[in-house]
Amino acid sequence: MTASSFGSSGDGFGDAPRACSAGSGAFADYEVEARFYDELFRPDGTVREACRRLVASLSSATPEELSTLQEGVARRFIHEGITFTVLGATKMSEHIIPIDCVPRVLTAAEWDHIDRGLRQRLTAMNLFLRDIYNEGRSLRDGIVPADLVLGCPQYRVEMRGVKVPHDVYVAVCGTDIVRTNEGFAVLEDNLRVPSGVSYMLACRAAIKRAFPRLYRAQGVREISRYPESLYATLASLGPWGGDPRVAVLTPGHYNSAYYEHAFLAGEMGAELVEGRDLVVHDAVVYVRTASGLKRIDVIYRRVDDDFLDPVVFREDSLLGVPGLFNAYRTGNVVIANAPGTGVADDKALYSYVPRIIRYFLDEDPILANVETHLCRESDGLAYTLANLENLVVKEVGGSGGYGMLVGPHSTASEREAYADRLRADPTNFISQPVLDLSRAGCFVDGRLEPRHVDVRPFVLRGRDDIRIAPGGLCRVALRKGGLVVNSSQGGGCKDLWILRDQHPRDAPEM
Amino acid sequence: MLARAAADFYWMGRYLERTEQTARLLEYQLERLVDTPAEEVALGWRVLYSTFGHPAPPLPTDADEAEVFLIADAYTLAGTFVEDDTNSNSMISCWSQARENAKQLRPWLPVRVWTCLNQGFMWIRDCDFSRAWSEGPAALALEAIDRLRLLAGVVDAMMARDDAWRFLELGRFVERLQHQTVLLDTWARLGQPAQGARLSWSDLLRVSRAYELYRRRRSILVRRESALAFLVRNPEVPRSLRFAVHRIERLLSGIDPKGARYPLAAPHRMAIRLAATVEMDLGGDDSDPEGEDGSFPDLLRDARKLHDLVMATYVNYPVERGLPA
Repeated sequence: MTASSFGSSGDGFGDAPRACSAGSGAFADYEVEARFYDELFRPDGTVREACRRLVASLSSATPEELSTLQEGVARRFIHEGITFTVLGATKMSEHIIPIDCVPRVLTAAEWDHIDRGLRQRLTAMNLFLRDIYNEGRSLRDGIVPADLVLGCPQYRVEMRGVKVPHDVYVAVCGTDIVRTNEGFAVLEDNLRVPSGVSYMLACRAAIKRAFPRLYRAQGVREISRYPESLYATLASLGPWGGDPRVAVLTPGHYNSAYYEHAFLAGEMGAELVEGRDLVVHDAVVYVRTASGLKRIDVIYRRVDDDFLDPVVFREDSLLGVPGLFNAYRTGNVVIANAPGTGVADDKALYSYVPRIIRYFLDEDPILANVETHLCRESDGLAYTLANLENLVVKEVGGSGGYGMLVGPHSTASEREAYADRLRADPTNFISQPVLDLSRAGCFVDGRLEPRHVDVRPFVLRGRDDIRIAPGGLCRVALRKGGLVVNSSQGGGCKDLWILRDQHPRDAPEM
Repeated sequence: MLARAAADFYWMGRYLERTEQTARLLEYQLERLVDTPAEEVALGWRVLYSTFGHPAPPLPTDADEAEVFLIADAYTLAGTFVEDDTNSNSMISCWSQARENAKQLRPWLPVRVWTCLNQGFMWIRDCDFSRAWSEGPAALALEAIDRLRLLAGVVDAMMARDDAWRFLELGRFVERLQHQTVLLDTWARLGQPAQGARLSWSDLLRVSRAYELYRRRRSILVRRESALAFLVRNPEVPRSLRFAVHRIERLLSGIDPKGARYPLAAPHRMAIRLAATVEMDLGGDDSDPEGEDGSFPDLLRDARKLHDLVMATYVNYPVERGLPA
């Protein structure tokens, strides 16, 4: 089979899969370890049912063909400038996000479980946010310690009593989910400005082109209409009929996720604005166009709370719009996600999410949490200090993989320095066990090898419904044995295929 | 159209046009290295440097020095306009600036336009100039022009004729108007016989991509006044001043045609005035052997004022003026 035929007319695609296993053919160097759930193979090395076609097609390719495929996928990212920006010590640098050509596959049943869990979780979190900014029932009833919420830097007193359109505080959510041998678990919720959906869509576009016949034969659920769903979700939050004018508010092209902001604005047909493009006059928000000021109805903000409005939040903010929060309070503009949602994705509050679900929905959580030790509690701090070499320690407000300690990969002096930080400010940290993250097949250094992965699905909450793109940003730790999947820390991405239950095109897709 | 995006489209058009102008002048100059007397090559460098507002390299004082100058300095002089990112008119700088503008415009820009621009940028960024020099330097400039023409074709095919396209084109033609005015002025000044080495008027037509048409319409014998008049007033030559100013006027009439600024916004009025100047006052004609090329600085001043008016009218206008009625 030639490189050009691979992926387009290869003999394995769409035909009966051949018997394959780990340790043979293209998978000769692929090691399955029972400790880690392998997404392609069972512990005995036989192929998982949902992955048979994928493994068969990869097995029939030579390393050269796979290299050509991988290069083609990566080249597409380079030419299209699918980038993220990394803030270095002295300057910003623009990087192409590494993409792996081998998709990860989940069955319809596995996805159904995740889908139901995400809907439940986001419903509960919106109720919780409404509660803590109004009656505070859950705090009075001791479901969550009041000081944890009210003392959180992300709790915005300015939001107390503000009427949030349709009580949708979090309209866009990205939840990080991992899999171990015990099943799926939520690693963290991103309820402020979750990013990565553009890479999910870009991955899909590249991989679909690389494996056209296999993609069709597998019956993969579509995600390409996500921008329409996002627009519909945002539009539904406005009090106006018709098509409101939507803007994506970006900090600017030096922001690490600028590509995504531009991508989403373009795909939605929305304005991509910076703070300097907006003007508030009589509590109405306008955008400066070439033909005068035009009213803006909905702002999908990708700017942190702190920088939204220098009149209300950080007065030194150059990214925000003076008077924006007043326009929001007055009901003249919708801001999604609402200011103050960060309190609910604080890593310390994370451990209370199962209780929040039970309290507000009277249901058991569908998706499990990862065991978490709060260093703000004396037991949690003592346990963390005593087991630093076996734990992952994170700052409660941290993100992007920055500022965390991965115990087993740390040196004694690093642990010592981290312990000092823990003792000095224990409320700022949590710890979790090092998880045996599942591994998926990746094409690395000319051969197929397993690497640790997680997935970030994207959930949209509109006025009347919740929509979830059947897929997600599958992040992969490309360094052998590495556990950190963040792109800023050497991670890459791969496509996630959610298979249809039985018949293709049996349901409308996002 | 977002005002900032309008400005980015405008500047992207200007930078892309400037890249092409640099490449065209470089191609002309580098071709001449092969067989042109050294004194004339040196004068060519003066034209290139003066046109872009850089201090011109000194002319050699005798023939021997001119040969040394030709061999030793051409690489450095050309490199300044290819790979020197501290020179705002070098190809790498202009392409990079155009890409920075395009980065901010991705929601409005067809993917293929971005990809084509990005690939062009990566080509010039990764270009090994010393190797290109040893293999034939003019080929580098020619490839740059080809890539820019490809991009222009993709823009033409992919972009709707909306305000985004109008501002992009407006930037291109304002840049062209300013650059061609400076080029004609520089050529007219440095091309005086009193300067010793002479600039060829047919070369001016070649650099302006107008030589073939001139030969057909006028004569193979190129006269100074006739060449200048051709490049000022001929409506068929894409690099004539008249062509540029008419395109500007048409583009401005399409921006916000019936909005608050109807019937005529300030930039539009200035464009009409420029058109009248170019058609009636400037460049002499075949019957006027002395010509009127002393008017080029005045035209350049108005062309720069046009730029200021575009920015003040569509981008940096006061908030009070922009509020809906």
